[in-house]
Amino acid sequence: MLAAILAAATLAVAASTTDLRDLVAAVGGDRVRVESLSDPRQDPHAREIVPRQIALLKSASLLVRVGLDHEPWLARALTAAGAAPRDVDVSRAVTVLDPDIPRLAADVRPHVHAYGNPHYWLDPENAHPITARILEALSAARPEDRAAFADNRARFLARLDARLARWRARLAPFAGARVVVVHDTWPYFARRFGFTIAGAVEEKPGVPPSPAHLGRLIERMRAAGVRTILAEPGASPPIVRRLASATDARVATLAPSVGADPDAADYITLFDVNVERLARALERAGSVPAVPVPK
Amino acid sequence: MTLELLGWPLAAALVLAGIHAWLGLHVLARGVIFVDLALAQVAALGATVALLAGHTPQGAGAYGYALGFTAAGAALLAALRDRPALARAAVPAEAMIGIVYAVAAALTVLVLERVPLGGEQVKALLVGSLLAVTAADVLRLAALYAAVAVVCWIARRPLAALSFGGTVRHARWWDFGFYLVFGCVVTSSVRVAGVLLVFTYLIVPAVAGAVLARTPARRLVIGWMVGALASVAGIAASFRWDLPTGATVVATLGAMLAALGALLGIRRLLRGGRRAALGTVAAAGVAIALAGAALAALPHADHLWLDAAERVAPALQSAFLSPYERAVAADAQRAVTRGADDVAALRSRQADVAWGARTADAEERERLRQFTLGREELVAGDRMVLRTLRAHARERQRFWLGVPLTLVGAATVCLAARMRRRV
Repeated sequence: MLAAILAAATLAVAASTTDLRDLVAAVGGDRVRVESLSDPRQDPHAREIVPRQIALLKSASLLVRVGLDHEPWLARALTAAGAAPRDVDVSRAVTVLDPDIPRLAADVRPHVHAYGNPHYWLDPENAHPITARILEALSAARPEDRAAFADNRARFLARLDARLARWRARLAPFAGARVVVVHDTWPYFARRFGFTIAGAVEEKPGVPPSPAHLGRLIERMRAAGVRTILAEPGASPPIVRRLASATDARVATLAPSVGADPDAADYITLFDVNVERLARALERAGSVPAVPVPK
Repeated sequence: MTLELLGWPLAAALVLAGIHAWLGLHVLARGVIFVDLALAQVAALGATVALLAGHTPQGAGAYGYALGFTAAGAALLAALRDRPALARAAVPAEAMIGIVYAVAAALTVLVLERVPLGGEQVKALLVGSLLAVTAADVLRLAALYAAVAVVCWIARRPLAALSFGGTVRHARWWDFGFYLVFGCVVTSSVRVAGVLLVFTYLIVPAVAGAVLARTPARRLVIGWMVGALASVAGIAASFRWDLPTGATVVATLGAMLAALGALLGIRRLLRGGRRAALGTVAAAGVAIALAGAALAALPHADHLWLDAAERVAPALQSAFLSPYERAVAADAQRAVTRGADDVAALRSRQADVAWGARTADAEERERLRQFTLGREELVAGDRMVLRTLRAHARERQRFWLGVPLTLVGAATVCLAARMRRRV
């Protein structure tokens, strides 16, 4: 009985990823009940719908999602649930990198990430606009709790900003360093922390590299002295190993989402882990920026 | 660079072609074509359970689990051999193999829900990557398969009797032995080359051998030649045209089999005389009539044969355009060629900046990006002009090409059928 009253008193929110779940929880505090629809350890594109998602969508009054083309399974899940929670597409709150939208109309070829790169939560600075959008949505659903939500958000952002200064200091010695990525996951992270993504192992996301592409990549990495590879837990280990051994590079396996790695337990430790692993890989690779970066 | 990158993949492909051509002959003779997919899926289930038990996906633990599960799968398949109840109901071996595959795949999905590292790792394990093999991988495979080959040579008589007909004592045990060896080979190959490549290496050379020769020894030699040739050609094509290696080798094996089929068809045609030739003419007539009717009925649908013909002979399209439209098309075509060159140059300049071979400040980089996008949009616009003009041409081709082709095709069919009746 008590549990039922408490459940009614809290606002039920479904978040499409664990990253957004953490940000919603940071703003909502104990006045919202938020769960993630997806498991960060699974590939978002090959996801099958499970009963838990349907139940979650049925009970939620708000749906907070990454947007762009990051959740191809979500439309199916919503249809299956027959539910229409209020939609909060967070991508509208941030400036998206690399959109191809003008070309879509004229070009008939399919595009992956055509609406822009969806990994915007990997810039901690983006937590400001994201949580602002969340605050607005939560307050619209629960106007009486607006002040509490605003307080929670301010506290969380203060903590995050303090950490951000520390992360920047940790990576400052490597400003301008070049790295090679496996997937196109890290442009926001790279921009925030001042390193350059010189190339990607997968020319097209999800398609294994051709020998000619891998050959060019190895040649360029050797010529430019790039000796750091950023991989995700899901990256094909044989390809990464092969590339690393051919170029004598260090591999940093970073977590693209909260929970994708056991050490990345929440939004702040996600960056703790990624910044530390990247810094260590750059240290071991002896990375010095090829071009001096203007202060 | 080429040899450094492709030397070991080629060696691995040749090793795989060697053992799989031999196993393929047995699999084909037994009519258990999909047994390797089933055993590979059982092995994947084993590897997934290993992840659940805390082993790393590429480690020895996962390999051990995969082998253990494969042995269990082999025992199950051997136990199902010649069951009286199944024989009475005329249930073929492939039915059981299909069931093993589907259930193992579903169980893998169920176990994956609980696995901390997720589906990606197991997918990598299943798909493998020929391009990523190392010297150690190839030597390990070669040593293992040499041992397997020795065992199979010693046991060649009972194994041949089981597959190609004959009587053997303890048939069920020999069957188990065969599936065990087979499962062990497939589990190891799939880690390196992936399910698709292993399946084609197993079946395509064996089919080519079976079509071209009678004795198992000759079939094996032909299988080896086909496998080796396709490996070299496929890997070379993958490098030349910048394609994923494993899939290219699979497609090459398929293309070789198709070419073989076409050659055999031509030979039969030459031997069959007038009657066979008229049959082929009638079939060609049907194809022409269908293509023409499709063009006449649905001019704006995709007509791939017409696209290809227009690429070879552009006059086929320009003849159906007005002089003004022809001038616009020529302009757009020139703009597309020039624009594509520009875009390639801009992209390479962007890459130079990203790799540090050229310096550019943030503003210049952004300008370069915008300029490239704009140029690409212009090219896309010119392509759209070409597509629109093609649609105009199709409206006219519909009557002047589609209708006559339909009539010519139909007439060819009637004539050929009539002459064939007289032969």
